[in-house]
Amino acid sequence: MSVSTAPRFVRADGPDKVTGSGRYTADLTLTGALVAKFKYAGISHGRIARLDTSAAKAMPGVFAVLTQDDVPDVRFGPFVQDRTLFARDVVRFEGEVVAAVAAVDAATAQRAVDAIVVEYELLPVVNDVEAALTPDAPLVHPEWASYGAADALVRDRNDASFASIAKGDVQRGLAEAHTVVRSRYVADGCHAAPIEPRAVVAQWEGNKVTIWSSTQVPFDARSGVCETLELPNNRVRIIVPHLGGGFGGKCGFHYEAHVAALARATKRPVRLVFNRREEFVAPDRRREGIVYEFETGVAADGTITARRAKLLIDNGAYTADAGFFSQIAAMHALGPYRIPNARADAHLVYTNHQPSGSVRAPTAPQTCWALESHTDEVARAIGMDPVEFRRLNAVDTGGEGPSGQTYGEIGVQQCIAEATTGAGYGQPLPDDEAIGVAIGWWPSFSVPSGAYVKLDGDGSGQIITGAQECGTGAVMTLRQLAADELGMDAEAFELVYQDTSVAPYDMGATGSQTLFNNGRAVVAAAGQIAEQLRNLAAEQLEASPADIVLAEGRAHVAGTPDRGIAIAELAGIAAGGELLIGHGSGMPPGPPPLVGSSCVGDLGMAAWVAPQFSCHAVRVKLDRDTGVVRVLHVSAAHDSGTIINPVGAQGQVEGAVLMGIGQALTEGTTYDEQGRQRNAALLEYKLQTCADAPPIDIHFVQIDTPDAGPRGAKGLAEAPNVATAAAISNALAQLVGAPVRQLPMTAERVWDAMNQEAQP
Amino acid sequence: MSFTIARTVEDALAAMATGARPIAGGTDLVVGARHGKAPLPSALVAIDRLRELKSCERTADGVSIGALFTHHDIETHPLLTTVYAGLADGSALVGSPATRHVGTIGGNIMNASPAMDTGAPLAVMGAEVELRSLRGSRRVPIEQLWTGPGRTCAEPDELCVAVHIPAPGERANSAYLRLEYRRAMEIAVVGAAAFVALAEDGTIAALRVGLTAVSPTIFTGDLLGQVGRSVADAAAVAAELSSQQATPISDVRASDRYRRHTVGVMARRAVEAAARRAAGETIDIPVNRAIGIGAAS
Ligand SMILES: Cc1cc2nc3c(=O)[nH]c(=O)nc-3n(C[C@H](O)[C@H](O)[C@H](O)COP(=O)(O)OP(=O)(O)OC[C@H]3O[C@@H](n4cnc5c(N)ncnc54)[C@H](O)[C@@H]3O)c2cc1C
Repeated sequence: MSVSTAPRFVRADGPDKVTGSGRYTADLTLTGALVAKFKYAGISHGRIARLDTSAAKAMPGVFAVLTQDDVPDVRFGPFVQDRTLFARDVVRFEGEVVAAVAAVDAATAQRAVDAIVVEYELLPVVNDVEAALTPDAPLVHPEWASYGAADALVRDRNDASFASIAKGDVQRGLAEAHTVVRSRYVADGCHAAPIEPRAVVAQWEGNKVTIWSSTQVPFDARSGVCETLELPNNRVRIIVPHLGGGFGGKCGFHYEAHVAALARATKRPVRLVFNRREEFVAPDRRREGIVYEFETGVAADGTITARRAKLLIDNGAYTADAGFFSQIAAMHALGPYRIPNARADAHLVYTNHQPSGSVRAPTAPQTCWALESHTDEVARAIGMDPVEFRRLNAVDTGGEGPSGQTYGEIGVQQCIAEATTGAGYGQPLPDDEAIGVAIGWWPSFSVPSGAYVKLDGDGSGQIITGAQECGTGAVMTLRQLAADELGMDAEAFELVYQDTSVAPYDMGATGSQTLFNNGRAVVAAAGQIAEQLRNLAAEQLEASPADIVLAEGRAHVAGTPDRGIAIAELAGIAAGGELLIGHGSGMPPGPPPLVGSSCVGDLGMAAWVAPQFSCHAVRVKLDRDTGVVRVLHVSAAHDSGTIINPVGAQGQVEGAVLMGIGQALTEGTTYDEQGRQRNAALLEYKLQTCADAPPIDIHFVQIDTPDAGPRGAKGLAEAPNVATAAAISNALAQLVGAPVRQLPMTAERVWDAMNQEAQP
Repeated sequence: MSFTIARTVEDALAAMATGARPIAGGTDLVVGARHGKAPLPSALVAIDRLRELKSCERTADGVSIGALFTHHDIETHPLLTTVYAGLADGSALVGSPATRHVGTIGGNIMNASPAMDTGAPLAVMGAEVELRSLRGSRRVPIEQLWTGPGRTCAEPDELCVAVHIPAPGERANSAYLRLEYRRAMEIAVVGAAAFVALAEDGTIAALRVGLTAVSPTIFTGDLLGQVGRSVADAAAVAAELSSQQATPISDVRASDRYRRHTVGVMARRAVEAAARRAAGETIDIPVNRAIGIGAAS
């Protein structure tokens, strides 16, 4: 389908956002609201020797100062229960919350924060993932063995989650290879950097609390509040006003409980709004740094005989939602290739850095960068064109992937063809330009989800959904699905969403799952109404319900469009009798089987439902005197199944590609020797700007995917972020004459690589 | 805290005589205060309505630019973008369109950041700054204005009213480039300006180079030894001398080693671009985009 001729519709929240009438969390004002501010550790590792809040509490205008002593003593965490709301005894990263203040205004709250006295006994800082796994490394959590954790996790001291995927006999496969290539790569951590820093407002009424929060995952936030403040689900209501971007950075449970606890203690509404530095330093949501080692053997004809990979992932000080990172990173380290003998070992390593957490396709862009850079090294080592090498070795329909999954209809080969053609791969270029190519993949996450649909007496509809919008537009597309099911116009539906007390459960704007799972729920809910409408129409038209067709806002008898009645009229009839209400969830498809492989630390991330594939081909230009790189053109091909809303899909790819360029060239967190971030500001943490955006050609490969979501759609929020940095790396390696082995590939690192300075 | 709005230059001078700090576009002063660089001064006088400081006029020996001329005014001014092209190169790189519409040349030079983008081009062109107070008026060669990072030789009661630039003369022009990692909202990693006058035979008649962000203040040097040599030779020497004489620091943006190398590259390119302009060629503003850092596209 060509994007330009496909139907487009205005997203429901667009006019609000563009005209400035939309309300974000920080815009909310409640009578008598107090301002919250946090006291942060400021150091990376230390034992609290003294914590004295008395001076702060005594200040006029200060209503409450809370520490861990003032909240239930609960350890929490989705995979490892390794943290508490406020630091208890020990602080383990600079952004850890030690105390929280609520005061009449921001200046007073800040003075109170400054008046809190904390003295630390400094502990050794774990600042490096490789050092952290040595036998005599200091432990970030000496009491790790006593923590509660998910059963499947394999943990040992500073290793919070070890995962291994193994198939065949790697030793033999390498021994039989014609050529073996070994590489090492290092990816720095980076950030989601949403433009809206997070905000939380909480207000109690009796024993119930309403929390407005800029979260991507309201139900997750709710369970965090319930767990840490020991409340039942039905007394906590999370509402999300417009969200100013997330990119994964606002997944997880963060500060909702701190603010709710302050509001309870002060008997006033309380409001927390982060500044940019806090947004960089405090949340457990940084894209993880990873150290990679690869070893790949190939036969003389270029087929891969074996691959071994070892990954050390920077978990940071607490595990947050990173528990599954080791297994999904291991999958990305093996890649979408046919490999008879494969083994990837990944360790999620505690350090005294800010905790890692899901940022857009967690672990994938940097692992794809490392693996695909290595793949080009392998192809070059045997004198094969890198694109040809991928055509030969990539997984294909009916073939078996590295974890032992056999794929149904998949489009990776078509993606390679479309992306390289779109980039003009093979054309002669000036000697300071090159085209790099990389392939990537990403799962669809099949999880429970629910929605209601109702049609009112005037024929207008509402979709009441637990789904959360974070800018992707996926929620907006739900209107199209309901409308199609009922033969109505998308504009006839309004969305009621982002409120945990109104709609059924949904996992939230995470894992590219909204359309896949909530779409299924909406289709099921609308299907119930469709059935009601067919029955009603059958009565009115004296026909059998099976013969009623719903189309163009009318119900008519199949074959005789004149024998029909407006759906609005049917809705009016229903309003006087049995109301038109549908509810849906639908059964999420189960995981595909794995054959011939074994997984240690298995969290279900090695068997992918409806996997998505991509190929990016990127033309770059290198300024050889300075190492500065410009991306001139990106050709992105995606198999994400059926594209339901092309204009939304195009926006996802463009945004993700630009984010990928940033990750490739300019976005990376650097630490001082004490493990503190050196560039926690937008001047020094360099996002790409509109002025940097290259032309981006987008190709959707739409094929019939087994077990996909509604109408064969998979997902598209994360997949386009996977392969861009890798493709840029492969272009650069041609110009530099060697790969740049550290991400981001900053101008200075490129220049170092050109001058053969030692690389990490 | 007091805030006065000056309606005349005299209003502004009177307020400054009692200790008020002038605020023009506020893009350094206010943004710096919000970032905790320095608290807002307790007394401010807004000078942004002083029309007489918003002009740009040809004078007998060159051009006078009012202190309130904005970077946008400069990058679109027919005379400045042709005859004083190096200055327009610098202004065109500042921040974003919004920053350029608000930020002024007076604010840029009085803020005295070693990374300012109009400093090096103004210095190589031999600009002078006109400072005025109730006590009188004086002109200071711009290189003598800066005494350290964020420091100038202006007395607290002195208002910068204009920048005067001598006409470059026949077969002479200027250019400015900076190393940047992205194309907007950037700050110079290093930068270099060159003023080149050519003899009739195309050899160098005069050459000055100014460097940004490699020393506590803008660094300038007259390359007298290059007179009579070819542009290519002079550019190579300028590159070498710039790398040698720079005293850059290492920070989160770049190492001193890399800055030392790249400032030479910027200097070479600035000399080449200025020489091409001096020879009558038009190179679009800014040179950064036209011939490139990380290349044009
Ligand atoms: C997002 C952003 C991007 C930027 N990018 C760049 C860039 O790329 N390159 C660059 O060089 N700068 C950049 N800047 C800095 C700034 O915009 C410029 O230096 C601008 O020219 C300052 O002018 P202003 O009128 O806003 O100064 P103000 O902030 O009003 O004043 C700055 C200082 O000069 C003093 N002052 C102002 N006018 C006078 C006067 N007439 N006489 C005496 N003292 C005076 C003030 O008291 C103050 O100390 C950027 C700033 C921002 C916010």
